[in-house]
Amino acid sequence: MTKQTKRKKRISISQIIIYIILSLWAITTIFPFVWVVNNSFKPSSEVVNSSFELPKEFTLDNYTNAFDRQNILVSYKNSLIISGSVTIAVMILATMMAFALTRYTFKGRGIVQSLIISSLMFPAFSTIIPVFKMMTGMELLNNPISVILPQIAGNLSFAAVIMMGFLRGLPLEMEEAAYMEGAKVGQVFTRIIIPLCRPSLATVAIFCFLWSYNDLFTQLIMIRRRTMYPISALLNEISSKYGTDYGLMASSVTLIVIPVLIVYIFLQKNIIKGLTAGAIKG
Amino acid sequence: MLYKKKLPLFIFLLPGFILMLVFLYEPFVENIINSFYDMTSFVKMPGKEWKFIGLDNFEKLLTDPKIKISLVNSFKMMGLTIVFQVGIAFILAILVNSIKRGQHIFRTVYFFPIVISATAIGLIFKLFYNYNGGMLNQLLKALDKEPINWLAPSIAFIMVSIPTLWSYVGFYFVIMLTGLSDISEDVFEAAAIDGCSKFKQVFYITIPLLRGVICTCITLAVTGALKVFDLPWVIVPKGAPQGVTHFLGTYMYEQTFTIGNIDYGSIIALLIVILGVVVSGIVSKILKPDANL
Amino acid sequence: MKKMKRILSMVLTVVLVFSLMTACGKKEETKEAAKDSASTEETTDTESTEATKNPVTLTTVSMHGGTDPNAGNYQAINEQFMAENSYITLEDDSQSADQDWKTKIAADFAVGNEPDVIQYFTDANASDVLAADKFVSIDEIKAEYPDYAKDTLDTALKAASNPDGVQRAVPTTGYWEGLFCNKDLFDKYGLELPTDWDKMTKAIETFKENDIVPIAVSLNNVPHYWVEFLMLSSAGPDGYAQVPTETPEDWAKGLSMFKTLRDMGAFPADTDTIDNELAGELFKNKQAAMQLDGSWYAGGVTDQDNTVVVAFPTIPGGKAQAGAMVGGISSGFYITKKAWEDPDKRDAAVKFVMAHTNKESVTKYWGGNGQAACAVDPLDTMTPLGVSGLEYSSAATSISSPTDARISQEAYNTLISGIVEVSTGAKDPKDLLKEVLEINNK
Repeated sequence: MTKQTKRKKRISISQIIIYIILSLWAITTIFPFVWVVNNSFKPSSEVVNSSFELPKEFTLDNYTNAFDRQNILVSYKNSLIISGSVTIAVMILATMMAFALTRYTFKGRGIVQSLIISSLMFPAFSTIIPVFKMMTGMELLNNPISVILPQIAGNLSFAAVIMMGFLRGLPLEMEEAAYMEGAKVGQVFTRIIIPLCRPSLATVAIFCFLWSYNDLFTQLIMIRRRTMYPISALLNEISSKYGTDYGLMASSVTLIVIPVLIVYIFLQKNIIKGLTAGAIKG
Repeated sequence: MLYKKKLPLFIFLLPGFILMLVFLYEPFVENIINSFYDMTSFVKMPGKEWKFIGLDNFEKLLTDPKIKISLVNSFKMMGLTIVFQVGIAFILAILVNSIKRGQHIFRTVYFFPIVISATAIGLIFKLFYNYNGGMLNQLLKALDKEPINWLAPSIAFIMVSIPTLWSYVGFYFVIMLTGLSDISEDVFEAAAIDGCSKFKQVFYITIPLLRGVICTCITLAVTGALKVFDLPWVIVPKGAPQGVTHFLGTYMYEQTFTIGNIDYGSIIALLIVILGVVVSGIVSKILKPDANL
Repeated sequence: MKKMKRILSMVLTVVLVFSLMTACGKKEETKEAAKDSASTEETTDTESTEATKNPVTLTTVSMHGGTDPNAGNYQAINEQFMAENSYITLEDDSQSADQDWKTKIAADFAVGNEPDVIQYFTDANASDVLAADKFVSIDEIKAEYPDYAKDTLDTALKAASNPDGVQRAVPTTGYWEGLFCNKDLFDKYGLELPTDWDKMTKAIETFKENDIVPIAVSLNNVPHYWVEFLMLSSAGPDGYAQVPTETPEDWAKGLSMFKTLRDMGAFPADTDTIDNELAGELFKNKQAAMQLDGSWYAGGVTDQDNTVVVAFPTIPGGKAQAGAMVGGISSGFYITKKAWEDPDKRDAAVKFVMAHTNKESVTKYWGGNGQAACAVDPLDTMTPLGVSGLEYSSAATSISSPTDARISQEAYNTLISGIVEVSTGAKDPKDLLKEVLEINNK
């Protein structure tokens, strides 16, 4: 009994230190978010001159300005269609690729792996023009597909690398056991691998969504019709990328960030301990 | 035994790989071939020919003093990302994993810098560092000290590295935390019963079990360091001040977009890709992520 | 002539009907419409208003997008245009002109996805797109529509001609570049405005002593104005406007002033890293005394009463006369061949361009800033700064377009990116110019 209370006490002191360290880091990460939201309620000149103060006069101009000029809701929908399909496709294809590359030994595996790593570093502009020509040839410009396909390809390499990292850590015993009980490879994949991968899949999903959502370059090149603009392309246009209207920029950033945060908070429920533990036990 | 048959391998591998082939590798190779020509624009205008310049760009690459600066900076950045980004992320992940209450708050909050665009974060740091009325100099003024040029050539590299490193810690944090949540609680409980301290658990249980994930993070970190671009570009565009903060990524962008030497930019892109493959090859040689298979 | 036209219209009708047959939708109606257009084509000469009753969708692109000061005017003119011509629908895709945008436009032209009407650069900045040879010349348009660009001044049309000398674009406004001075700061320290170089030196020294930044400029970001004026001042308008093959001494001498000025402490302490916008804030907040900028800068200056524009003082030993100015017209509305060759769109495109380039619209676009491409009436709402700018530009002894209108973009950008090194002495201006001209002659 005494031993137990002693142990509890020691933990609580170290826990306090841990909380302090974590909170200090949290302050640095919360700060920019607060800064952006705070400045989105100021006129632009105030942003440059006193960006670290509270607004002198609270104004919603930046938001009404953004909403007045464009149909933001339609753009949210367009973004959701594009980034949603990219995320789902990448999750499926990347898990399949990672499964193949970690579970099978075959000639050329090393080459395929370094091809995937190398494509992590392809800059978007060096691949976009040939893809653009291809899309024009197929008359797919202005069609969400023209953004979705290159974005899937672009995010696959990252997602495959991540999934390979996780799959390597999974013990093979369960798969072997399932095989002994007569399961086929496809069943092993859908019944064992995918449930076990849920936390990592959620991680891949959030980053894919984020990058697809923020990938202005591909969106701008492929989508020309204003009614088809995804949200970041639209808001970029309003507050032209390196423009001078910092107040409008801050409100645009806020409007862009909100859906991503919602998606993240929604997905992170899946990155919770216990889900996997249950899967392993069962 | 289970993975002897090769047919499923192709079914699993091919759909994704074909997509990558069509939308990544083929265009990239096309771009490399183009860089043997003097590209006057991204797209060849109908009826206009590009002059063949062969290996001129490779020669330029070898003699360009700015490439040297960029290479040195990019390699420095690589070291820094491993130590600070992956290191800090690892510590934070272990700490967050060890607490009972408020996990989800930290998980959400640490993610903020990644969600907010580099343009906005760059602007914030620009306003921190600004010589006239920037936040740091305002603080100095309040303390009755002379203002400092925070982006003077001697310290610019450090000042740019700080936000670059800081903003992506959350990325590796999320990946590490996911990896940690894959480790069964039972292992730690068993270790605690055997009298293994929390500190020892990290070295004897967490690190070995996280090997694959740590290796992934380091690979992503070094390749990420090679193409570091947006934050430096916003805070100190074009290698400012006086070219000391060029990275391979920013120099490639400057050549391609600001100056318009597209063919030379493609060659720098090729250099980045080759370096990335070599470095990540070395990483996996050293860390052997497949060792436990 | 008339027979020709009839044959042409018949061919066009066949093509049109054929293309409509393949398109899905209400075949019958469109056929009807196609017939309509054919019959009206024949009678264009007599009843030109009848010719345009078909619904037309015109794709248009301009640089008045995003936060461009004229975006509002552009949209207003478009709306009025659509209200007056209900059969025309505009599909407008305007954006502020940056590098991404230019890449996108070039890509469009290369693959045949160009718009019907585009407002774009007219100088060397447009060489990519001009190479595709997809614009109709003004002469060709005027042959059929004599009223086209009728309000536009001949000098303006000439200034907006492309590097090959052909006039294709109809301009709306032009710009000037000049030296903005905070007159109240000069008065405060008993200084005269920098009308010659001695006064300039004196002003720089005095401001420096009093902790005021003499010249607000970002050498890393936008040294363009200083590059232009120093070279113009040193070489004179004639030497400046040539495209030399050998490195010109005069240009190098002008650029070497960057080091002189930097050593005097004329630039902000962080001129290597500061943003152009933040440098502009220094001037607007009276923390800096002078700034060299374009006419578009005037509208954003907060203190419209105490800010003046003066001519750039000639540098010691410079060949330029007092009042030599950099300015010109660098953009205009083009009609693409794609629209011109489409009988329905041809008329709509011409109308559209005319709506944007008539006197009334040009007056709106001009708003007292820079030069107008038509003979506009002076505005009575002009601020003292606006008046000062107008006086400055009308007193100019010579007007030269900037260097980037003459040399290739890659060469010009190399020049700009070398300025910081020239100012610190790390690079000899002659070496930089040699490099620039080599790229230009490539």
